[in-house]
Amino acid sequence: MSTPTKARTREMTRREFFLLAAGLGVSLFGSDRLYKWFMVHEDPLGEANESEVNKGGPYWAMVIDLEACIGCRRCVYACQATNDTADSHLWNIIIEDEDSFSKPVFITRPCMHCEHAPCVEVCPVKATYHREDGLVAMDYDRCIGCRYCMVACPYGVRVFNWDKNDGVNEQVPTWGTPEIPRRPRGVVEKCTFCAHRLDKAAERGLTPGIDAAATPACCVICPTEARNFGDLRDPNSPAAKRLVGRQSVVLRSDLGTNPRVFYLLPNEPA
Amino acid sequence: MQTIRKQLALVHPFWWWVAFLLLPISFGLFSGFWVFYKGLEVTNLTDGAPWGLWITLDLSCIGLAAGAFSLSALTYLLGRESYQPLARVAVFVGLLGYSGALMCLVLDIGRPDRFWHGWVYWNIHSMLWEVTMCITLYFSVLTLEVFPMVVELPIFDRFKRLRHLGHTVHHFAPLLAVIGMCLSLLHQSSLGGTYGVVVGRASLFRATMPLLFIVSAVAAGMAFSVHMTLIVQWLKKRTLVPMPVLFEVGQVAGAILLVYLYMRFWDTTVGNYGYSPGRTEAFTSLMSGSFAVSFWSWEIILGGLLAAYLLIRARNNQSVAMLLIGSGLTMGGLVANRLDTTLLAFTEPLTEHPAVTSPLVSHYFPAWTEIGTSIGIVAGLTLIFSLGMRYLPAFRGEPDELTEEVVVSIVGAPAPAGD
Repeated sequence: MSTPTKARTREMTRREFFLLAAGLGVSLFGSDRLYKWFMVHEDPLGEANESEVNKGGPYWAMVIDLEACIGCRRCVYACQATNDTADSHLWNIIIEDEDSFSKPVFITRPCMHCEHAPCVEVCPVKATYHREDGLVAMDYDRCIGCRYCMVACPYGVRVFNWDKNDGVNEQVPTWGTPEIPRRPRGVVEKCTFCAHRLDKAAERGLTPGIDAAATPACCVICPTEARNFGDLRDPNSPAAKRLVGRQSVVLRSDLGTNPRVFYLLPNEPA
Repeated sequence: MQTIRKQLALVHPFWWWVAFLLLPISFGLFSGFWVFYKGLEVTNLTDGAPWGLWITLDLSCIGLAAGAFSLSALTYLLGRESYQPLARVAVFVGLLGYSGALMCLVLDIGRPDRFWHGWVYWNIHSMLWEVTMCITLYFSVLTLEVFPMVVELPIFDRFKRLRHLGHTVHHFAPLLAVIGMCLSLLHQSSLGGTYGVVVGRASLFRATMPLLFIVSAVAAGMAFSVHMTLIVQWLKKRTLVPMPVLFEVGQVAGAILLVYLYMRFWDTTVGNYGYSPGRTEAFTSLMSGSFAVSFWSWEIILGGLLAAYLLIRARNNQSVAMLLIGSGLTMGGLVANRLDTTLLAFTEPLTEHPAVTSPLVSHYFPAWTEIGTSIGIVAGLTLIFSLGMRYLPAFRGEPDELTEEVVVSIVGAPAPAGD
């Protein structure tokens, strides 16, 4: 391994010089090839960069009107019934906010389905990933339950199956019936935007956001139409129409996650 | 009765120590079984604080095992041949540290049956994936480095080929040191990076995390190896590593610790200038809130400044006590740092967006299952360490100033020396 001390003072031979030059050349060429190969085969942001994946397809989004929401919790119950979640594993929660605006508002919070989703970037096994349409989905068969995604999610939307969900779902059948199987103990889960409904929309000839069977359960059940779903690239979708003329925010825009859930701010008294 | 007592008195103290360790080990085994059987619901981890004591222990084990790569690098790459006996101890400690870390991780993940998914399903963007790969690869490197020491045991006398293989592997020690250093430089930092990339947690999202993690790990890892060597020498009444080497390495560790404190000072000062939601609250909690005692006393004063002073001054004073206490405090400082870093992120409000009151404030104290398994893991590692130090020929050591008869009465007659 070690070079004899004498060699340090010796001058470079012609052979060594050529070897060194050739080595440098090969490594320069090789690194250039390698770089190009990576640029072709691997987008630097990978699956985290949804906009590369979802070119021209529908841009699913949810628009939640804080003015219209009356805090009835029906979206929470419908979500719980449809996705068969336990009481401690709510995918859609409701927060009472009394301080932020001139009047108390109810903020319901599904998964934001971020374009640059921190959870997708950090998952060590790609158990959480961007679907073709850009929604953030989970592979429950691949998840190892390390909970790094829960550490990474800025919105706290992710819940972990600490125990086996084998209790009675109190919200069934009042608020809906389970449409997807229960998840096993030891994996993380979260709101899917009722992707199982979206996936069936085309073959049933339905339009998500307009037809109830192809729209997330929380939006369907809302009695005040505070939650709207649809394709933002379609100006006639309920979500797109609702955004027109209203002041909207996304949560923690400072993080650059680019969420798909928009909140319409309540009307302030003049 | 009299005879039993007499016979008990003849039992070597080492076996009392082993018997004592078996208590926490069995408790740990029981808790571990309980966790695997009942699932993580028997812990106090929550959706708000998904990582806790196990991750702290995991980070501490890996941090304290950093002596293995840094001392191997000093020995085999920078040519400090005199450090070799200490590097051997460090490598053995390192192997145990990484075993402990892997045990913590298997306990911590919700699906231990899928522990292998990281190797099969790659997400090269994930810090944790990189950590998983590096830790397991480095674990194999450490195993290879310890393998030659193990085959020197007398029970392998019959297996000449195995011992020959051990010699061959030992021949590649410098190569293993290079691979080990590369892997360690990656994952010791990316463990900090695992926290550093979490954009949503204000107290963690810092580009300095990887640097702080690796520098503190190198300081504490070296100090920990010195600490364990001193304890073993004291108990065995034999010299494993010459004292000048221990003093020298202690001084190096102290200097690196000072560098770490310097970096930490500027990171804390600049990183917390002005007000930023979440981050400032976390900072206040660390400086004067619920984490203040742990931060100021353990991380900064005892485990930082005092430890560095003792480590650096021990050589000039030729004081074993200073070296022992200094290295022990450094270790405590690292553990406190990993604990504070982990828990602070989960017990502070994260965000105050115009539209959201954060639901993420959590409180966490480990459950008996977490404490039991952690104690069990530490006790198990201590047991293997004790057995290794007693029986592995590499750690037989030289008799110190005690007479040969006394030594024989304490550690038994020395076997003929191996390679």
